[in-house]
Amino acid sequence: MTFKWSRQKKYLLMGMVICGLLAMTFVTHNQRFYRQPIARVVKVTNGKAQRTEDEFKNVDHQTEQQITAVLMNGKYREKKVTIKNTFSDSQPMDQEYYVGDQLFLSQLGKRDGGLTANPAGQKRDTVVVFLSWLVITILLLTMGRAGIFALISVVIDTILFMIALALDLHNQGNHVLLIFSVLALIFTAVSLLLVLGPTKKMLATFCSTIVGTTIAILVGVLVLSLTNNRGVYYESMQYVTQVPRPLFIAEILLGSLGAVMDESSDIVATLFELKRIDPNVSRMQLFMSGRSVGKSIMGPLVNVLFLIFMADTFTNSLLYLKNGNSWGYTFNMNMSLGMVQSLISGIGIVLAVPAVSVFGSLLLGRRK
Amino acid sequence: MSSINALGLILLLVMFLVGGKQGFRSFISLLLNFCSLFFGIVLIEFHVPPMFVAVVIGITILAITIFMGEDDLRTTVTAFYASLIVLTILLFLIFFISHWAMVQGFGTEDSDDLEGMSILIGISYLKVSVTAIVLSTLGAIAEAAMAISAGLTEILETHPDISNSRLIEGGMGIGQQIIGTTLNTLFFGCFGGVLSLFIWFAGLHYSFGTIINNKIFVAELIEILISFLGVLLTVPITSLVMVKRRKEVVDKSIETK
Repeated sequence: MTFKWSRQKKYLLMGMVICGLLAMTFVTHNQRFYRQPIARVVKVTNGKAQRTEDEFKNVDHQTEQQITAVLMNGKYREKKVTIKNTFSDSQPMDQEYYVGDQLFLSQLGKRDGGLTANPAGQKRDTVVVFLSWLVITILLLTMGRAGIFALISVVIDTILFMIALALDLHNQGNHVLLIFSVLALIFTAVSLLLVLGPTKKMLATFCSTIVGTTIAILVGVLVLSLTNNRGVYYESMQYVTQVPRPLFIAEILLGSLGAVMDESSDIVATLFELKRIDPNVSRMQLFMSGRSVGKSIMGPLVNVLFLIFMADTFTNSLLYLKNGNSWGYTFNMNMSLGMVQSLISGIGIVLAVPAVSVFGSLLLGRRK
Repeated sequence: MSSINALGLILLLVMFLVGGKQGFRSFISLLLNFCSLFFGIVLIEFHVPPMFVAVVIGITILAITIFMGEDDLRTTVTAFYASLIVLTILLFLIFFISHWAMVQGFGTEDSDDLEGMSILIGISYLKVSVTAIVLSTLGAIAEAAMAISAGLTEILETHPDISNSRLIEGGMGIGQQIIGTTLNTLFFGCFGGVLSLFIWFAGLHYSFGTIINNKIFVAELIEILISFLGVLLTVPITSLVMVKRRKEVVDKSIETK
């Protein structure tokens, strides 16, 4: 590939490498900032594997580990600690530790003259920092200005999301839908302003995103109540600390927003291009071309969301099947919510096509 | 009628009304993708190696999404090859990152849901999680590959003699146009999935240090970052594949004229 490295890019790459090295140095030496004790494994002695078998004939092996580790923070810094760990072949909630691993400890204390503790999970911040650095570097190097704006938009959206979370908790989850609907409006405005700037294009995209998403949510809620939520198992929702149903609707709203925005901005961009080529283009023509662009984008977009929502249920579904449950029950308890989320988002993505085409043609087209 | 059937029927109806035949095909591709995903889980249940399932089901889902999403073979074949290359690269990367992060299986926050379950199933959860992450990124990769490849086909149609480096520049240009909104799609898609988890974290006052080392959070973050990376890699790779295949694409364009 004859890829020319401009001067700017060389400086950018050098800057990113230096940033990366600094960040990695920090994150590998930040143990003292943690209150929870962290230790580095220096010696491991594995016991003999014990065979286990459950009532569903699942065979696994469990092994006891005697770990010697050196503490890296707190008042016992540099002291040795003995840790007992049990791991299995499949490692669902446990894991095997190796020499050099860094892990969090719980119940650290003196027993029989030596320090003992229990393992409480691996230190994972290094991976997070490395992967984020890799993504940001490639984003900036390949995408230039567009990359910078995309990054800024992600950062702003994350901050807004955290503010909304704080508000939601402040109200004990009473207005979860209202809070996240307002958040969705702000999200859309901020993201589109950053991608498109304060233009007529942005306004058209904004309106159709809102219309598409709103109709989809209304249709979704209507269908759910008409069918009495039959086959939708809210109790299977994970990590729920508030009333599940409004929370679920809020999740659908946020989840579909990006896709609807994506599609609307593609269609609006095409319509503006058509208007530029032929200033006298009629409303009907604009509407028809909007629809033809939309119908080829909507299929892949629905699949994007569908795979994100459904792949999350992969591990749990496997566990259900392995515990002797039927396919139907496994689907109901793990996939029904993801399916409803995909379907309602899909309806939003599809309905946004006529919505954005109408908006675009009214805004740009000539009456005939 | 159950809610899922009702919603499915409505989606089919609106897809057909808006997209006609193509809309109907999109609906079928969604259905087939669901079957592939479920079939993948069943295969792993029968102890087929998860990495093998990741490759086979991954290729199947890519083929369904790309070839049923668009008719023009000049666009789809390029997109398909490009996304296969990206899939291969991602597979290695995810394997490496997962072994480093050890975010497979369940976290302590899952304990309630796991009550009464036998979790020692004798299948490596690490490999299962690699499979799940790979499959979750495929939709985004297929979509980006199709967008770039369609744009490049159009460029080749109007300028059949364009130089290779200009063609790659064109591909990167299209990439820059779509990257903002594509990242938004992925980002919001993931927000929609982790809302309740974040309310849990915030409600129980998890510290920043705890969250950034939390198994479930890191797993979700890895998933979204890997999808970002997948889309970013798709842009130059699709352009390169188009350069390699430009002769066939141009020939076909002349044929169809």
